[in-house]
Amino acid sequence: MTARISKWPGFELSAADLAEGKVTQTRFRPDAKYAWSAGEAMSRFLAELQEGRLIARTCQSCERILFPPRMFCEECYRPTDAWKYIQDTGTIETFSISYLDTDAKRIAEPILVGVTSLDGASPKMGMMHYFGEMTKEEIRIGMRVKAVWKPPADRRGSVLDIRYFRPLREGER
Amino acid sequence: MTFLERTTDPRRLRTWEGHMEADYIYTSGIAGERFFVALRDEGRVLASRCTACHLDYLPARLFCEDCFAELTEFVDVPGEGRVVAVTVAHVDRSGNPLSRPQVWGFVSFRGIRGGLVHRLLVSPDRARAGLAVRPKLKPRSARVGAITDIEGFEPVRS
Repeated sequence: MTARISKWPGFELSAADLAEGKVTQTRFRPDAKYAWSAGEAMSRFLAELQEGRLIARTCQSCERILFPPRMFCEECYRPTDAWKYIQDTGTIETFSISYLDTDAKRIAEPILVGVTSLDGASPKMGMMHYFGEMTKEEIRIGMRVKAVWKPPADRRGSVLDIRYFRPLREGER
Repeated sequence: MTFLERTTDPRRLRTWEGHMEADYIYTSGIAGERFFVALRDEGRVLASRCTACHLDYLPARLFCEDCFAELTEFVDVPGEGRVVAVTVAHVDRSGNPLSRPQVWGFVSFRGIRGGLVHRLLVSPDRARAGLAVRPKLKPRSARVGAITDIEGFEPVRS
């Protein structure tokens, strides 16, 4: 209540009042269905993940290779031009040693997550993912890594079709 | 495919389908409560009266639209009303075809501002503006305090 109004008109109803039918009421459940689309570029990106490939879009104007792919170049303000496969190797740009899991629960053994810029895409373009087969002492910015894919039968057209990025082994490219 | 071409069928792309739970409970309000309780318990159709403006409102409401006075007096609407407008529906609320067309109408009453939209209990070929009608109520045991306590409006003379 306020300084000037000691009692508002009307009366309050509790959830129990409504459940008991203390007042007349109308109940309704709208048939509110939706289909949320990933869009042209991300749909192709996800479909290619299922095939074990990473795909980008190129822009003729700024000559960039955009990854993750998008149908529109935000630098040139024009549609992008073509699809281009890129490699599943790259370089760690940033990383976090996280003591929280994906549900924000505290965990004793940290998970390693971060952004990898991928070979074949323009500089600094890549994706965020887990890192594995390395310890929190070993991980560093600039580390060369490679994607570890799920077996084809387990892939679902999801970013988790890649399990994690592991260190690139000596002599590997 | 450029961004200028519209995506008209999202299911062609990768999509996630879902159902939004948007249940609601709509209470009748203070004047609406008077209206529905009188309809349920006594089988009366009430209008709220503004004594200052000499106006009766249907559906009953709490405030006068002309002078903003709070309305506390309620009166019975005349037993007989008149159809002002009709619609013959061939599909239901979801757009599915109906097995037989339904007749809907807006019914007004002499001296009352407003009216009720409801079913007209006549065949589509008899549905027309100007028809004199009266509410047909459900039996007391079947009334729950909703507008559907009125089954519909039937012609005064058949």
